Amino acid sequence: MQRIGDEPVYEVFARRVDGEPLRHVGSVAASGDALARVYARSIYDEESWIELYVVPRRAVIPVESVRTEAVDAHA
Amino acid sequence: MSTPLLDRAAALPRETVPPLVDLVTALADNKHALGLRYGEWCSSGPTIEAGVAATAMAQDELGHARVLYGLLEELPGAPRRSEHEWAAGDARTVAFVDRPFPSWPHLIVANLLVDQALTLVLETALGSRYLPLRQRTRKLIEEEQFHAVHGQGWLLQLAAEGPRVRSVLDAIIREAWADAVCWFGPDRGGALAPLVAVGVLREAGDAVRRRFLRQIGPLLRDAGLASLLRADGDGWVPAEALPWAEWDESRRRMRRG
Repeated sequence: MQRIGDEPVYEVFARRVDGEPLRHVGSVAASGDALARVYARSIYDEESWIELYVVPRRAVIPVESVRTEAVDAHA
Repeated sequence: MSTPLLDRAAALPRETVPPLVDLVTALADNKHALGLRYGEWCSSGPTIEAGVAATAMAQDELGHARVLYGLLEELPGAPRRSEHEWAAGDARTVAFVDRPFPSWPHLIVANLLVDQALTLVLETALGSRYLPLRQRTRKLIEEEQFHAVHGQGWLLQLAAEGPRVRSVLDAIIREAWADAVCWFGPDRGGALAPLVAVGVLREAGDAVRRRFLRQIGPLLRDAGLASLLRADGDGWVPAEALPWAEWDESRRRMRRG
């Protein structure tokens, strides 16, 4: 369990209509998956998404990025 | 043969109207107060995300109160309420939500105990014979699922901060405990029993309390905060006798002073 203010980052992805690619809409910091879902629902609910996902940033595998270290630092 | 639905207030058996008015008033007033209390933390939560979540929960609770006040308008003898004319002096709220929460852990304990106690009572109306209540319940319950996850996640996170924070949490839980655990009514429901008898509620009293304790027992144990309840077979029971002598059945709260 992380200390308050030191929670891992989750990236938030959403899709508005069928056939549209999932797109990155933002991120939240949360102590666990369950709270990350609550936060994503609270913060990114302005649009009528048909799908909304949170993904732990640490689960996003860089393929090619000059900023790999920066991403890892907050995962 | 299925039991016919009661599609309007006039179809309710006469003896069920006063306890239904008391229950809906207390549900709505507590939700209204919770909405105000959550909203006070919209810009002062421990993280930005937490503040936004508190704001979203505040919107939900104020919306739930508005829906339930609408239900009161159809019931004879109901006190006059609207979200625009909130009369706190007359409110049937539990003491824990009467005043602003002095700390974030107070909000989390309200979220976990008070909010979820109200939700479990609402769940007993999901299949209500009284159609206006049944129609209003489902969406409220769906939104409350997120409130429950919020309370559970934050309780565990706060408890993990260490023994000092757990000691603070334990004291706060004690403040809210009696009102939350008694909210379902004594034994078979006390004043709510006539509502169960005619199918307005599915159950009340001990049956709902057992479900509530089964929900929070493992969580409080995992958080190291289970001093007020103990495991009993496949369920949980309060560690001490509940203070029914202090319980005001019609106002659904502990008597003050």
